[in-house]
Amino acid sequence: MASPVTDNRPSGARRRGRIVAVSPDDGAAIDLRNPALAAFLSWLVPGLGQLYQGRRFKGGLFMGVILFTLVVGMWLGGGRVVYASWVPRALAPGRPLVARIDRWSFLCQAGVGLVGLPALAQAMSLHGSGLAPILPGGVFAPPVVPRQLVARAYAERLVQGDPDIERDDFIDRPPVRESRIDQLSLWHRQLGRWFDIGTLWTMLAGMLNLLVVYDAWAGPMGSEASGRSVPGGGAGPAGGVSAGGQGGSAGGPGGDEPRPGRERTRGPR
Amino acid sequence: MNDPVLPLAAFWPGQFPGILVGLPLVVVASVVFAATHHEQPAAILRATLQWIGWLGGILGAVLGAVIVLGWMV
Repeated sequence: MASPVTDNRPSGARRRGRIVAVSPDDGAAIDLRNPALAAFLSWLVPGLGQLYQGRRFKGGLFMGVILFTLVVGMWLGGGRVVYASWVPRALAPGRPLVARIDRWSFLCQAGVGLVGLPALAQAMSLHGSGLAPILPGGVFAPPVVPRQLVARAYAERLVQGDPDIERDDFIDRPPVRESRIDQLSLWHRQLGRWFDIGTLWTMLAGMLNLLVVYDAWAGPMGSEASGRSVPGGGAGPAGGVSAGGQGGSAGGPGGDEPRPGRERTRGPR
Repeated sequence: MNDPVLPLAAFWPGQFPGILVGLPLVVVASVVFAATHHEQPAAILRATLQWIGWLGGILGAVLGAVIVLGWMV
C-alpha cells in the first residue's frame, strides 16, 4: 500500500491543475507547465524547454552539452556538415515528383531545430525557384552538384569563397549558371576524415536532443512513479497520477476526469 | 587538406590519434542519458559516471577486440 505523499507543487499549479511529472530522485513534483510548448522549445534550442519549465540546472546542462557537441562537430566539419539535400525526380511522365534524399544524416541532425530549420530553408531555397540559398553566407547550404543550375550571384559567391572553385566551373546559361563541379567531393578532399567525424558529432547532438525533447515533454525517464496530473490538481486512485506519484491523490479522491491520452498511470511496483 | 585539429594536435607528442576525438562523445552521451533519467544534480553526476563506465567499457572492449583482430590478420 503506497503511503500518501506531499504535493510539492506551487499552490498556483495545484489550483490550475498543471501537468506534472515526478522526480525519480526525491519524489518531488516537476511542473511541466505546457509540455507541448516545452518540447517544441527544447527541439528548437536544446534545454530551452527545461528553462521554460523552471528546471534551470537541467536546462543549462542540456543547452551546454548539446550545443557544445553541435558547435564542435560543425567546427570539425569545416562548418559544412549540416545541410539537407534531396533530388526531385519524376517516376514517370505525369506522375508527381518524389524526392531522393541525398543526406540521410540530416534526419538525425534535424533533432536540433536551431540548425535543422535553417538547413531546410537553405535547401528549399537552393532547390526552389531562387536557385540560391536564402540565408547570407551560404551557411547550411547543400553542396552544388554537376549540372545543377544556380543563380549567378550564388555562383560568384562560391567562386569568391572557395579557392578550389574557379569561374570555369560554371557554364553560363543566362540568366543562370550551370555547375560543373561536385562540391561534396571537393569538401571531402578538403576535409578528409574530419567531414565524417564532424557529421558524426552533429548527428549525435541531434539524436541526443530527442531525449531532451522527451524530457521536456514528459519529465525524467524511467521513473517508476512518473506521470501527469489531471485538471483540478490530482486524480483518484484509479484515475491517474498524484503529484507525488506514489499512488496517492494530491487533489483528493476522485479528482477530475482524466484528460484522454494525456496522463500516464504508473504505480510503484 | 584542412585539418581543424592540427593546432591542438601540435601539442600532442607524435601523431595525434584521431580516435581520441570520439572520447568526448562518450561523456556527452552519458551526461544526457543521466540527466534524462534524473532531476537532482548529485544523482545526475552519479549516473553520468556509471554511464561513462558502461559506455567506455563496452566501446573499449570492442576497440580492444578490433585491435587484437588487427594484429592476428
